[in-house]
Amino acid sequence: MEEFRVLVVDDEDDFRETFVNRLQRRNLDVDGVESGEKALEWLDKHLYDVCILDVKMPGMDGVETLREMKTKRPLMEVIMLTGHASVESGIEGMKLGAFDYIMKPADIDELMEKMRQAHEKKTLHEEKIRQAKIKELEGHPARVFEQIREEGT
Amino acid sequence: MFGLAQFIKKFLKKTDKPGLEESPDELRSMFKARYWSFKQLLSSNNIALEMMADIERGLRSNQSFGMAFIRANSTAISVNVYRIIQNMNAISSDRYIALYEVFEQIRDKINNILEERKEFGKGDWVLPLEAINKDMADQVGGKMANLGEIASRVGLLVPEGFVVTASSYEFFLEHNYLQEEINRRVQPLDLEQMEMLHKASADIQQLIIRSPLPSELEKAILSAYGRLEVKSRKGINVSLRSSAIGEDSEKLSFAGQYGTRLNVSREFLSHSYKEILASKYSPQAITYRLTMGFRDEDIRMCVGCMAMVEAVASGVMYSRDPGDIRSNVAVINAVWGLAKSVVDGTVSPDLFVVSKEEPKQILKKEIRTKDRKFVCFPEEGVCRMAVTGEEKNEPAITDEQALLLAGLAARLEDHYGRPQDIEWSIGKDGIVRILQSRPLRQMEAKAVKEATRLKKVAEPVILDGGVTACPGVASGPAFLVNTTVDVLRFPSGAVLVAEHSLPQWASVLNRAVAVVTDHGGVAGHLATVSREFNLPALFNTLEAASKIENGAIVTVDASGRKVYAGKVESLLQGAPIERVSLMKGSPVYNTLEKVLEHVAPLDLTDPDGDNFRPKGCRTYHDITRFCHEKAVKEMFDFGKDHHFQERSSKQLVCDVPMQWWVIDLEDGFKGPAEDNTVKLDNIASVPMLALWEGITAIPWKGPPPVDTKGLVSVMLRSTMDPSLDVTRRSRYIEKNYFMISQHFCNLTSRFGFHFSTVEAFLGDRPKENYVSFNFNGGGADYDRRVNRVRFIEHILKKFDFRVEVNGDCIVARLEGYDQDFLIERLKVLGYLSIHTRQLDMIMGNDAAINYYMNQIVSDIHSFVSL
Repeated sequence: MEEFRVLVVDDEDDFRETFVNRLQRRNLDVDGVESGEKALEWLDKHLYDVCILDVKMPGMDGVETLREMKTKRPLMEVIMLTGHASVESGIEGMKLGAFDYIMKPADIDELMEKMRQAHEKKTLHEEKIRQAKIKELEGHPARVFEQIREEGT
Repeated sequence: MFGLAQFIKKFLKKTDKPGLEESPDELRSMFKARYWSFKQLLSSNNIALEMMADIERGLRSNQSFGMAFIRANSTAISVNVYRIIQNMNAISSDRYIALYEVFEQIRDKINNILEERKEFGKGDWVLPLEAINKDMADQVGGKMANLGEIASRVGLLVPEGFVVTASSYEFFLEHNYLQEEINRRVQPLDLEQMEMLHKASADIQQLIIRSPLPSELEKAILSAYGRLEVKSRKGINVSLRSSAIGEDSEKLSFAGQYGTRLNVSREFLSHSYKEILASKYSPQAITYRLTMGFRDEDIRMCVGCMAMVEAVASGVMYSRDPGDIRSNVAVINAVWGLAKSVVDGTVSPDLFVVSKEEPKQILKKEIRTKDRKFVCFPEEGVCRMAVTGEEKNEPAITDEQALLLAGLAARLEDHYGRPQDIEWSIGKDGIVRILQSRPLRQMEAKAVKEATRLKKVAEPVILDGGVTACPGVASGPAFLVNTTVDVLRFPSGAVLVAEHSLPQWASVLNRAVAVVTDHGGVAGHLATVSREFNLPALFNTLEAASKIENGAIVTVDASGRKVYAGKVESLLQGAPIERVSLMKGSPVYNTLEKVLEHVAPLDLTDPDGDNFRPKGCRTYHDITRFCHEKAVKEMFDFGKDHHFQERSSKQLVCDVPMQWWVIDLEDGFKGPAEDNTVKLDNIASVPMLALWEGITAIPWKGPPPVDTKGLVSVMLRSTMDPSLDVTRRSRYIEKNYFMISQHFCNLTSRFGFHFSTVEAFLGDRPKENYVSFNFNGGGADYDRRVNRVRFIEHILKKFDFRVEVNGDCIVARLEGYDQDFLIERLKVLGYLSIHTRQLDMIMGNDAAINYYMNQIVSDIHSFVSL
C-alpha cells in the first residue's frame, strides 16, 4: 500500500500514545502532539498527508485548530475525532473542510480505512492542481519563471 | 396533602363511634372532605385508564418501544391506582383496606416481570474451543457454541482458539461497577434522537474501554493465549469475535451489530477484548435492539479469540438458496483475502451455485471484478489493498474448491438439520477453515412483487441493475450517506444511498424507506439487516452514489432492480405503506404483554356479582372499576347513612322513562330540594344541563330491530355469564347517577350490559376545563361490541374528541376549551348515551351501520350548534 504521513493531535496522553503505537505497527509514518498550538508549530516544520484531530482539547479546541490548519496546509486532509457527536460541531467541521468526523472509540482498522480514503482524496486533488498548472503553462510558457519564483519564496 | 388525609381519617373515625350525632356543620365539612377525595379518585381513575389505553396501543402500533417505556408507564399506572385506593379509603372510613393487599400482590407480579433477568451459565472465565459444544450457548454465546460444536462434534477444521465467557463479562462489569452507570445512560434513549443516541454510545463505549480488566481475569486470558501459542506458534496474532448471549432468535441474525477485531497482537489483546465488549453499545447495536425489542440487560458479551488465518480467499456460503429453499444447491460468495470485504459490503463477491446432488456440479458461476482485498499487516491489524492486473477478474476460488465447499455446507446442514449460513476461509496452506455457521434466514418469497418488471413505467430510469438484497418497492427523497454527520442528519422516510454497504449504516435503517448502494452483495451485514427491517434494498448498482441526486425524490424497485426519478405510483400500489411492527414476539414486546396481563383486563364487570369485592380484583383495571363503583355508592349513601337531608340523593322529576338520581356536591342546586326529589329548574349545574339537553333532545325510539344473529349472540352471552342476564333485576341496572356542582358533573349510567361515565368541569378558565367519557360493555359478542365502540369512536372524532379504544372499551377526552365549546360537546355525549344503547345488536350488518351512522349524525346536527 502507498505510504503517507499522519499527525495525531489529542491531549490525552494514554490515548494518543497507544494510538500512535498501533498506527506505527501498521506501517504508517506517524507523529503525535498534545495540543492544537503544538500541532500548528509542527506543521511549519513537517509535511503531513492526513491529520487526526481531537475536537475537545483544552486551550485551542479542535474546530479552531482545524481553521488554522486549513489556511496553513489547505491540502492536508483532517479527520475529526470526537467523544460527543453533535450535528452542530460536526457540520461546522465539515464546512471548514474536514474530511470526516469519527466517533470515539474508533476501531483502529476502520480509522485506517478512513485515512486511506482521505489520502486518496488528497492525491486526486493534488493531481488536479498539477494538471491545471500544466495546462496553464502550455498556454503561457513564460509563466514557468513566475512559478519557479513563487516556489522559491 | 398528608395533613389533610390525616385530618380526614381522624374526622371519619369519630363517625364510627355509635350514638354520636354530628351537627350539620360537621356533616357539611365531612361531606366536603369526601367530595375532595372523590374528585381526586376520579382524576386518578381517568389518568390510569388513559395510560392503560396508551400502553396497550404500544402493542398494536408499528412504533418500537423500549423497557424504559414499559417501566415508566407501569410505574405511573401503579401510582395512580394507589392514589385511587387511598382516596377510596378516605371516602369510606377505611372500609376497603383489603385493596392495599390486592394492590401489593399485583405490583409484585409486575415488578417480578420487569426485574426478571435471564440466567446465564456460570462457570470458567475462559474455555478452549475444543471443550465447547452447542449446548453451551448460555456460557459462550451462540456463535462460539456453534463453532465449538463444529470443532468438537462435526470434526471440521476451525482455527484454534478459546472463548472468554459470560462469567468474565459479568465479573468485569461488577469489578468496575459499570452496569448502573450504563443503565443510567441507556434507559432514557429514544430512537428519534440520533444525537443523544450517538453521544450515549460514545460515552458508554469509552467508559468500558477505560475501565481496567481485573488482574486475575487478564491473567486468565493471557494464559489461555499462552496455550494457544503452544498449539499454533509463538507470537501468533488472533482474531476477536463477539458472541453474544441473549440474541438467540429464530428470525433475527444480529448480523454485524457488534465488533470484530482482526490480527490482534498479544500486547493489545486485553484492550481489544474491551473494545468488543464496548461494541455492545455501538449506535447500530443500540438502534437494532430498540427497534427489534431486545432487552439490553439480557445481552451478555462473550468473545471468541482465535488464531488468525492469513486467508488467500474467503467468503460466505449458504447451504441452500435463500430465495428458493427447496432446490438442493449451495450458494457460495467468494473474495480475495479476508472475508471482511464480503460482510462489510465493500467488494462485490464472485458467486458460485453448486448442485449438492452427487456428483456435485457447478450450475452457475458469476465472476466479478474484485479490485480490492483485505490482508493482514505483518505486525498487527488489517488493511485494504488494491488488487491489480489480471488477478482482480480471476475467480477467487477454483471450481474444485467450490465443490469442496459445497460438500462442507452439506455436512453442516446435515449435522444441524437445517440450512446454514457459513463463513469460511482458505489459508496460504490451502486448507479450508470454518469461521462461523448459523441458521440460514430465508428471504421471504414475494412472488407478487417480482411482477413489477412487467409493469410499464413512464418515469425516467436512473439506475438499472444490481442485486436484490431485499425485494420490494418504496419511494422517498434520496439521502447520500458518506460520513458520520450524514448519519446524524439522516431524515425519517428517506432513501439511503451509499457507495459501500457498510454495517454502520444500519443505525439509520429504522428511519430509511429503502437502501441503494454501489457495492456489496446479499451476504453482507447491511443486506441481512435490511431484510430483517423489511426494507427494499438494491445493492451493487455500481453508480448509485454518482447518479442519484441528493435530495431528489426517487422510487426504488428492488425487486425489478431499477431506480426511477420521482414517485412512481403504479409501482407503489400494493406496496405496504405502513411498516409492520418488527417487535412482535421480541423479549421487550413479550414483557409488555406479560405486564399488561396484570394491568388491562377487566373481569369485574358485574357490581352485583359475588366476586365484586377487593379479593375479586385481579388487575389494576379491576381495582379502578371496583373503586369507581364503590365511590359513587359511598357518595350517594352518605346522606342516607347520616340522615343528612341536604346531601342525600334526589330523584330527578322528568319525562324520560328511566330513573335519574342526583346528588348535590356543593352548589349544584339553586335552592333547597323538597324531600326526595328535585326539579330540573332547580338545577344550577352547567355541565349537567348541557348533558340533559342532549339526553332529551330527540326521544329514544326504543332498541333497533335486532338481526337474528345479534339476538342469538346476546342470548349466548347471557347464558355463559349469568351476571349479564337482563332479566335479573338489580337496583343498579336502570339507575343513572348525577353528581353535580355548579361547574362539575359526573354521570354514571348502567343500562343492562352497558356501563358508561361522563365527567365534566366547565368553569371560566378554559385551561382547567375538561370533558371525559368512558364506555364499555354491551350484550352482543365481542366483535359486535368492538364494532360498536369503533362506531362511537368515529362519531366522537367528528366532534373533536381525542379517543382511545381498547378492545370493547372507549376513553374519550376534551380539555382546555371554553365553556360554550364544551357545552355543545356535552350535548353530543348526552345524545349518544341514550341512542347508542343496544346498537351492538345490529353491528353485524353494514347497511344498518350506515343507516344509523347517518341518522345519528343528522340528529346531532339538528340540536348542536358548532
